[in-house]
Amino acid sequence: MKAIEDFTLIGKTVLRREDSYLMRGKAQFLDDLPEPKGLIHLAFVLSPYACADILSVDASAAKALPGVIDVLTGKDLVGDIKTFAPVIEIEGYRDVRRPVVAVDRVNFVGEYVAVILAESPYVAQDALDLVEVDYDPLPAVAGIEEAEAAGAPVIHSHLGDNHIFRAAFETEDFDARFAEGDLVLEEEFRNGKTAGGMIEPRGCMAWPDPVATNFTLWTPTQIPHIVRTAIADHLDIPESVLRVVAPAVGGGFGTKAHVFPDELIVVALARRYGRAVKWVQDRRESLLTNMHARGHILHIKVSVKQDGTLCGVYLNLKTNCGAYPNHPYSPTLEATGCARMLPGPYRFQTYRYDVSSLITNTCPTGAKRGTGQPSAFLAIEGMMDRIGRRLGIDPAEVRRRNTVRPEEFPYVNVVGVRYDTGSYLPSLERGLEMIGYDAFRAAQPKDRLVNGKYRGIGICNYTEVSGTGAPGWRVRGFAKMPGFDSSRVVVEPDGKITVYVSQADAGQGHYTTFAQIAADRLGVACEDVTVVEGDTSKTPYGTGTFASRGSVVGGGTVIRCSEKVGVKIRRIAGYMLDADPERLVLKDGRVADPEDAGRSLSLREVAETAYSMNNLGLPQGEEHGLEATDYYDPPMVTMANGTHVVQVAVDPEDGRVEIERYAVVHDCGRVINPRIVEGQVHGATVQGIGEALMEEIVYDADGQHLNANLLDYLMPTAMDVPELELDHIETPSIDTVGGIKGAAEGGLTGAVPAIANAVGDALSGLGVNITRVPLRPSSVFEQIRRACTEKEGRA
Amino acid sequence: MTGSPQWLSMETRVKPAVFDYHRPDNIEEACALLAEYGADARVLSGGQSLVPLMNMRILSPAVLIDINRCRDLAYLREEGAAIACGALTRQSEAETSDLVASRLPLMSIAMPHVGVRASRNFGTVCGSLAHADPLAELPSVASALDARFVIASSRGRREVTADEFFVSALTNCLEPDEMLAEVKMPAIAEGAGCAFHEIANRAHGFAVAGVAACVEFGPDGRCSRARLSAMGAGDTTARLSPVEALIEGQRLDDALIRAAGAEAAVVADPAGDVHADAAYRAEAIGSLVRKVLRQMQGAAVER
Repeated sequence: MKAIEDFTLIGKTVLRREDSYLMRGKAQFLDDLPEPKGLIHLAFVLSPYACADILSVDASAAKALPGVIDVLTGKDLVGDIKTFAPVIEIEGYRDVRRPVVAVDRVNFVGEYVAVILAESPYVAQDALDLVEVDYDPLPAVAGIEEAEAAGAPVIHSHLGDNHIFRAAFETEDFDARFAEGDLVLEEEFRNGKTAGGMIEPRGCMAWPDPVATNFTLWTPTQIPHIVRTAIADHLDIPESVLRVVAPAVGGGFGTKAHVFPDELIVVALARRYGRAVKWVQDRRESLLTNMHARGHILHIKVSVKQDGTLCGVYLNLKTNCGAYPNHPYSPTLEATGCARMLPGPYRFQTYRYDVSSLITNTCPTGAKRGTGQPSAFLAIEGMMDRIGRRLGIDPAEVRRRNTVRPEEFPYVNVVGVRYDTGSYLPSLERGLEMIGYDAFRAAQPKDRLVNGKYRGIGICNYTEVSGTGAPGWRVRGFAKMPGFDSSRVVVEPDGKITVYVSQADAGQGHYTTFAQIAADRLGVACEDVTVVEGDTSKTPYGTGTFASRGSVVGGGTVIRCSEKVGVKIRRIAGYMLDADPERLVLKDGRVADPEDAGRSLSLREVAETAYSMNNLGLPQGEEHGLEATDYYDPPMVTMANGTHVVQVAVDPEDGRVEIERYAVVHDCGRVINPRIVEGQVHGATVQGIGEALMEEIVYDADGQHLNANLLDYLMPTAMDVPELELDHIETPSIDTVGGIKGAAEGGLTGAVPAIANAVGDALSGLGVNITRVPLRPSSVFEQIRRACTEKEGRA
Repeated sequence: MTGSPQWLSMETRVKPAVFDYHRPDNIEEACALLAEYGADARVLSGGQSLVPLMNMRILSPAVLIDINRCRDLAYLREEGAAIACGALTRQSEAETSDLVASRLPLMSIAMPHVGVRASRNFGTVCGSLAHADPLAELPSVASALDARFVIASSRGRREVTADEFFVSALTNCLEPDEMLAEVKMPAIAEGAGCAFHEIANRAHGFAVAGVAACVEFGPDGRCSRARLSAMGAGDTTARLSPVEALIEGQRLDDALIRAAGAEAAVVADPAGDVHADAAYRAEAIGSLVRKVLRQMQGAAVER
């Protein structure tokens, strides 16, 4: 392998090649794909109730509408599709299966009750209003506390109660060690349920071959191979007859890293009718039925010494599973994720957690950028500030005293996760310096009131799990999550390169970055590399693009695979040049012998030999072709890190929070393309601003979803984004190939706690205790008002 | 041009429920169609509220009367002491109009809060008024400006005030055969102070609450005429008359502004929803009244 200093294209800003078609509206998203003749369009009848028995479905009027082919209920599909469930093997997890269309009972608003098959999407839409469903509404539970209350309706009767998952962890002598602290602080934090919020809603289209034995499924997914495995399993068809293709994907953010009932349904119906079948959801359906995320309750207790160092941490976490476990992760994703990621950059070695996930009558929850991390750091970083306030120590100093020190790397944290390298303290110091922390604190009055507004600073020092390998998934119960990703690198007969990667781009810029990597390793120009992915028929099997895997695992395998091909290139070139292959250098599209400066071959000349397109023949024992395949299973997890420091002003007149300064320091190890990393940091930070200040899916006590549209479910727009001051520190991993760490989620993880802490700091003089996001003007105002009333009461 | 479900092939169907479509060339034709179809019909101008509601099938009018070809309704002009704005005048035209900037500065400063640039290029001033959303900006501006609403039908024309026009949330006083043809807003007196502020959970989109104000001052620096209206204070946009009474004839000192804010919070009778509860909306309107009046203090002093 070339040494790190030899990187030529890795680390350079190369303009995204995909922007040329994306920005000009030329990308082919699912609903832009050409439609075959005889296409059947689907529409789903959605449950208006959070919990109800289905007494009858009368579709006669709908079936009578010209253009309606059929209307099917859950019962009609039982023989076609097995009940749907992820494969989870971990103590404390209880199996819950979901009919892809409800049979007898609906468990959340938006659950599929019937499916309309029509000759056009508009007829299908017209028919929706004609299906008469007779429901017997039942009491519903929407919240975690209601679901676990004594006497709560049990949603899945075989469980006996509403717990689907419980897990516990405890370090040795936890109680004794926890008792060693001088004081104990505790707090309860909560965050709102949110949605992935991608611009393109979901949809899918299945095409059968002429005799309906082989199928192609187009679906905007982040995990094409896992989708194929799940469909084959639930439809009882061989994986070999199904091809899954992700067209251009208009944002995934984790939401599109699930397998959905509709993906099973379109393939099953294509098989049943021998016709192509298509379904596209609208925004309301997207917000009602795609995966939700967060909605956590975190009760945290910390034991602390007088100097602010942690003796031990206890976390009790409750997550809202929704009505059914998501596929393929189940609610263990967020539950174990949050609890295991909470130690973050800190050194404490005494930890206990109890986590539980509860079934409720709401949309299932699942992966979204950051998964458990924004919650985990809301709690642990919130406690860092509280320790500081209680002990009179600057909150930045509290963090310094608890952070893993540079000389301690590689460090194994309290749950056994190895931090190979990191810049935890340097990143914190750089963030503080960028914002002018010391000067701000020196000038900050005790009551925090400056020019009529309360001003404060919040910090979040975070670690970011990325590129999880097989052991990292097994320990969290994901029995069938591979962990590896793969690639095939082909030098074509003309010397140009095709790179096939098992991943699926949803806007991350894979077509540019993977080309950069292969070009760098093979010594060719970026333009000479074509990247192909998101198609199970073209790429070898792999896990897919989520949880900050793209660069670590996808990038890693492209490095390894390119180098494997490089070995063969050198072997053949060595034979052609009569030189030692080991000393040959791949550069500028040529293979050169540095010890014989005049002698080199173009890659094309080498390829022509490999493909038998000249009279040279191959060396003894060499096979034709010039390609390699690689499967890369990365370490258990790879930790990136960073720091967000935010200055806010809170207007006591109306509770509005204004972000006045925003500094981000980010360390994702080896940077492949700085511009793309900046884009990831910006985008994730903006999503974090959304979760911190405005985004929340609202269910009422009866389980009605109150804001399933983009007027009422508020996501930030460009006008809400402050100037983000960015700085990178580059501390390459010593465990991953190429030193790469993930970059996609830290922005969100850092933003939510930093903003909450900044508001908490600004209002600390009033005694306001910020424990819950989103911090909308109304909730901030109410907390200020209550604190002022209490203060007056005491005075 | 008319269409009926039988004539439409499936390929030309659209997302809303099926409707008949008419495109008159002038207001007389539009009124004739309204006389014919009445409550079954909806008038389509910019479509920024109506079309999403139809796509979501919250509204399913049997007949759409598209007035976008009625060029006789696209105008902004001075008529005596008032500015007349026709039913087809786009919000962006009002936003960039010198006439509006000089004679109706309150509308100019409120306009950037209305939707977004793209929606203002389509959306019309009168369309937003007719939609009668209590959380929309233009109804509160019209209310603060004592606008007259010119209503047309094949039976003739009539004029009503904002109080009469806005009946309740999303409901105006139009009869089934009537349309809003024009809004007439008296020009704002020279030297009057104008302010518009709103509070929202994000920088654009629907506000939680808002206040539009236009205050005139006498030579003694006292407030001679105050007009304040609030968005989100009730189920229609409404003038804050008790607040106006409190400040007219007075100097806008800090104590009076505090009292006006407190009065506004009491007068407001807002509803709660997913964006804010009623109690917060009332307090927000109080704080917005303080904010607009503090801005007026400058206008009073400048004289």
